[in-house]
Amino acid sequence: MVREHKLLTEMFEKRKTLSYKYDFALELVEYNEDRLHFLINYSVIRQNGNFLEIDDQFLQFFEQVLEVNEEINVGSINNNIQQVKENILYYLKENNENRRYEYLRKVKNALRKIGNVTLRNVVDLKRNINNTFKNEPNYSVKKAKLENHDRKRSDINILIEQTYKLISEEEQTFFKTAQDEELNRIITYLKLQLNECRHNLIEIQKQIIEFLNQIKYQSGVIEKIRQLKYLRDQFTIRAATDIDAILQQQDVLVFETNPTYPLKLSLDHLQSDADAFNSIDKVSKKIRSAAKVKLPLAGTINSQYLEPAEIEEFQINLEEVRNSFLASGNNLFDFIQGYHFDKHLSFEEKVTVYCQMISLYGSYFNLTEQYHQQMEVEYAMVYPQ
Amino acid sequence: MIEVPKQTAAIFEILSKGQFISSNSSDEAIRKYYSVIEDGENFDLLFNYFNAINFQLERGDEFYYFSRKETKIDLERKIEQALKWIDIIDFFKTFDNSFGSGFRFTPSEVLVRLNVDAELKSKLEGLKRYSGGKDKFLDIIEKILEDLRKDRFVELENEISNQFKVLASFKYLEQLIMTINISAEIKDEIPE
Repeated sequence: MVREHKLLTEMFEKRKTLSYKYDFALELVEYNEDRLHFLINYSVIRQNGNFLEIDDQFLQFFEQVLEVNEEINVGSINNNIQQVKENILYYLKENNENRRYEYLRKVKNALRKIGNVTLRNVVDLKRNINNTFKNEPNYSVKKAKLENHDRKRSDINILIEQTYKLISEEEQTFFKTAQDEELNRIITYLKLQLNECRHNLIEIQKQIIEFLNQIKYQSGVIEKIRQLKYLRDQFTIRAATDIDAILQQQDVLVFETNPTYPLKLSLDHLQSDADAFNSIDKVSKKIRSAAKVKLPLAGTINSQYLEPAEIEEFQINLEEVRNSFLASGNNLFDFIQGYHFDKHLSFEEKVTVYCQMISLYGSYFNLTEQYHQQMEVEYAMVYPQ
Repeated sequence: MIEVPKQTAAIFEILSKGQFISSNSSDEAIRKYYSVIEDGENFDLLFNYFNAINFQLERGDEFYYFSRKETKIDLERKIEQALKWIDIIDFFKTFDNSFGSGFRFTPSEVLVRLNVDAELKSKLEGLKRYSGGKDKFLDIIEKILEDLRKDRFVELENEISNQFKVLASFKYLEQLIMTINISAEIKDEIPE
């Protein structure tokens, strides 16, 4: 066994997968088939076709020693209780001191075992319940498993009560007469252990109830949603259920579309805050870019319109006339009559220029009170100042 | 003038959008708000405070939310919303029976399951109507999750692994589902 510990360790670790191939095992025993056959002959390993597994007895032994077993065995506690009872009976009937001591030793052994086994069972039970609740994917299996665990819990509870009764009520004669220091210690310790188990069991019971309730609730929800979904797909949900009435009562905000609260901005804030200015800047940029619309194209312009056409217009440079007049010594009217314009001007036009000159540049001229007359036009004598 | 906790404005901000405050949020601020509401007499205080402006602070199983008596919303819209939730919850419960408060998942996990679960796939195709014209499965899932996230029924717990967590407020949806009664004779007609 020691020699094959590598193989057995490996097989034990893979015990859950159930399919440990013969060939793998062969590798671990350095391809020495005799060594495998030795184990098989002694029933440490069982061969099943092409697969190997550790014998159940050994597997249980390993699991119990390593405290990893998943099965909760209430029977062993029961056996131990029976054993205690039997040995007490023998003890009381036996007269030989040596043999009495032998029975006492057995009682002590069994009592010690009861404590350890019970505590172990409680711990296993708790772990199994948690595992079942968290890892079992199938709802009905999960429920059945939890109910089974609950039954085991009550079994353990009964056994604890029996043990308690045994050591504190039923066999008073034995415990009084035995008068063994170690026995008393074991019993005290056993009581402590049993008490701890009781408290744990109460907690476990609470947990199972909670888990079962959760499962019930969850499967209730699943069942309901399945039914509702069916009706919804049949388009009969509103007729077949009271959904209208239920929703009529629901005034939860989540049904409403997300509200916005359009509050007006504070003008003071907008004018004074730098951040606000940045925001305005951003917004204005956004608006500008949004306004980039495609301008409609105008039709083509007729080429005739584009041909150059000249129009001449004659203008008198009054400024120049004034400067010349200021340089001369003549009166304005005669000056204009004699001025050489670029174009020939009629008498009336010259009179107009005379008037324009006075009205524009009156302040440069010396307007006198003397009047002359020419061609029925009476005009004032104007000299440069 | 009533003295209210200093988080009141932030709480109002969330609840008034129709969102929920759940105890198992991974956002520390939300958890803080939850414990503030829960703490001592704060619930009554806030209840009265919000009641004065016509919002009713409601206490759920590990979550808080607002309701409003004179709601302006019509029944048709509520029904529409409820039917959408039925579709979505049905989909996720098909994905995993234990989909509920505290459940963690990633959209890609859902995607992987689609390949081996034809029922799930057909249900997701039914959800396409809520995806806003998106066709890809992942897009549809993400759109639905986005909707659930907006109302704070789920939250994105880990941005790197894209892991979502279902919040306590999801119980509100479950409870709503459970309160709907199916008339007895029709219940018998529904196939198992």
